[in-house]
Amino acid sequence: MILFGAIFLPLFMVGAAEVMVYQGRGIEVPGAKIALFNTALMYFLILPAVIPLAIAAYSIIGEKEQGSLEPLLATPISDLELFLAKALASVIPALVLTWGSFGLFLGVSIPLVGGIPPHVLTPPWIAAIFGLTPFLSLFSVGVTLLVSSRATDARAAYQVSSLAILPGIVPLIVYSSKKTLVSLFLVGLEGAVLIVASIVVLYFAIKVFRREQILTRWK
Amino acid sequence: MIKTQGLTRRFDDLVAVNDLDLEVEQGEIFGFLGPNGAGKTTTIRMLAALIAPSSGAATVAGLHLGRENRAIREHVGVLTETPGLYKRLSAIDNLLFFAKLYGVPEPGKRAERYLRLFELWDRRDDLAGGFSKGMRQKLAIARAMLHEPQVLFLDEPTASLDPEAAKVVRDLIETLRTKERTIFLCTHNLDEADRLCDRIALFNTRLVAIGPPQGLKERLYGRRTVIHLADPCPGLEDALKLSFIKKTERVGNSLVVSLSDPEQENPILVKRLVELGGKVQFVNELRVSLEDLYLDLMEENNTSA
Repeated sequence: MILFGAIFLPLFMVGAAEVMVYQGRGIEVPGAKIALFNTALMYFLILPAVIPLAIAAYSIIGEKEQGSLEPLLATPISDLELFLAKALASVIPALVLTWGSFGLFLGVSIPLVGGIPPHVLTPPWIAAIFGLTPFLSLFSVGVTLLVSSRATDARAAYQVSSLAILPGIVPLIVYSSKKTLVSLFLVGLEGAVLIVASIVVLYFAIKVFRREQILTRWK
Repeated sequence: MIKTQGLTRRFDDLVAVNDLDLEVEQGEIFGFLGPNGAGKTTTIRMLAALIAPSSGAATVAGLHLGRENRAIREHVGVLTETPGLYKRLSAIDNLLFFAKLYGVPEPGKRAERYLRLFELWDRRDDLAGGFSKGMRQKLAIARAMLHEPQVLFLDEPTASLDPEAAKVVRDLIETLRTKERTIFLCTHNLDEADRLCDRIALFNTRLVAIGPPQGLKERLYGRRTVIHLADPCPGLEDALKLSFIKKTERVGNSLVVSLSDPEQENPILVKRLVELGGKVQFVNELRVSLEDLYLDLMEENNTSA
């Protein structure tokens, strides 16, 4: 599942985004072309939310299932340090893969459509790709860790978390249906919502991520 | 090295550990015996500063539980019920990872030392997932020892091992005995506890009995000498009339005599038996197993509860 998230999914999203911009090349109706470009952007904003799901679910519940979590909890590291380590271990690969996929998308676009597609290297896109993605990943990790405290196995945690991140990516779906280009205002608005949501989710995730809770309350 | 006062842990309405008073000395191998669900693992988790007691107090390695939890975790090593190794990491990588978490100086040298000590050096680059159960357990003990803790908690170290692997692990525990290190051993294996432990505690939510294995047996059963006679010699036990004899029982052609100081009293007893016409064939000390002691004390505890 981690391999699916780390290899297949990014390649699939790059391919899908390339299809969008390739199709957009021959479309003359401005609204339709814009919707296709917004959908292409959406793919790169789904990646940072989805990739950490499997990593976070397996790094907590998977470790608990294998019995390797308790020796880890017996070490002198603090609960917060362990939480941050687990969160970063999920967020960093997600960001590297997202940004790497975006780079691949740009690289493939040049021979495919004869150059960097229009609107892609504009401030709203760049702000979305580099500004929103860390918060999408953090939100996703926070939700997964919260779900992990109640899930009985990693697969269940992964599945439930997948549903729980939907509210985080709904605005992205709205983008893709809009017939106006993504603007800095929209990106900023979603960024603000995501920051607040991430803080709230991480606050509760840190609260449940305590040795005591993990060993005595987690299922 | 470990001292608890009224240590109690509740899980909602369930009392897992009730009012535990315990003192374990430095350099001791201390056996903690009890049935499943007795609260042994909960006790280890509390003493290793993994979970908090509901009430009571404890010091571990001179550090106060609750106030100095991080320092306690630096000074104790824990072998959990399952080895909990990273199966996709090699043996040496498993140790190096934990060496970093414990801040061990020169982690490579330390890992090498323990892998050699536990005879795993030749398999250091093999994945832990490919190890036998005994080897996994040895590697997990090496991991718990890596930062050279003052107190080592071993939770069922030989459970689910075959007799050969269990013996390897038991021998290994014996080699870990030093004046500085305290080993707190939870086990179901009573023979293992009898052989390894300086003192044992029988525990079933609350402390049932504590002391050296032999001392506990003597306290409960006294010391008994078995005298095998060639002939039944009826009435011999009544004719003995020695003041130091506490009790005499007859089992077939044998007499079972309870004494308080058999080293001094046996020669007198045998002499008296011969004088009375008894044909003594063998004289043995009746050894009670820890299993008998355990079962009797637990039954007594259950009846009184």
